[in-house]
Amino acid sequence: MGVLDYFRPVSTLPAEKIRALLNEKKTGEYNLVDVRQPEEYQAGHLPGARLIPVGELESRLKDLDPNKPTIAY
Amino acid sequence: MRSRAAASILARGGFKEVYSMEGGIRAWKGLAAGGAPEAGMAYFPPDSSPSKLTALAWLLEKGAQKFYGEAASELRDSGAARLFADLAAAEEKHKDTLYRTHLEMTGAADDPQFPESVLPASAAPEYMEGGVEVAKALKWTRGKSPEEILEFALALEVNAYDLHLKMAQRMTDSRAREMFARIADEEKGHLNRLQEHFIRLMTPA
Repeated sequence: MGVLDYFRPVSTLPAEKIRALLNEKKTGEYNLVDVRQPEEYQAGHLPGARLIPVGELESRLKDLDPNKPTIAY
Repeated sequence: MRSRAAASILARGGFKEVYSMEGGIRAWKGLAAGGAPEAGMAYFPPDSSPSKLTALAWLLEKGAQKFYGEAASELRDSGAARLFADLAAAEEKHKDTLYRTHLEMTGAADDPQFPESVLPASAAPEYMEGGVEVAKALKWTRGKSPEEILEFALALEVNAYDLHLKMAQRMTDSRAREMFARIADEEKGHLNRLQEHFIRLMTPA
């Protein structure tokens, strides 16, 4: 078994699929998480996105509802 | 790549349906994504033994060490270059820690063939955390700004952090578990240092 056997892709969706998913659901039916740094978030983010820098995500999981579809960018 | 690491953390945290957005905000805005090499996330086949995982971690540390060491000379920012040299040295220490844990777990006095003694050598190129090919990543860094390279390194370290936490969860041997948790903590320290420098570069005095 080689090193590559230990990697597999995670579910990534292109931007237009994410757009469609957000459009068909009401706000509050999903978690939209901006995992970049605050400075990047301030420079522009998706409507309704919640800022949780990736380094803090682990300790802030309880801020999000695990039963809702969750989109990270 | 940061969003993929985030998706992995969410999935590990029990979130039912998790997606990361391909190309990030650049893709959303319809801008051409000049993104860093894409990566898969670490996946552990149910049958992978603690020895195999330790050997895998060693190989990934070796890849990361090479990346940081060589990318340091590409960085047009002396502070970031020093940071990368430090990170390369830290990965070397991790390799040593992993090797010693391997010896403890197997009870051997030494194992000069490690990691090939556990994970058969393959013709595959060198990889680092996140399943990124070292050579591709190094090629990508050429001509990139320090901000872009640091952003990529940030994603690497989040991947490394996530990977080592997952390794810790998979370990039945308590020493191995503690060792992986300790390495995860150190990767988090790297992440913080990279973040600080990234922010410094983004906000000129």
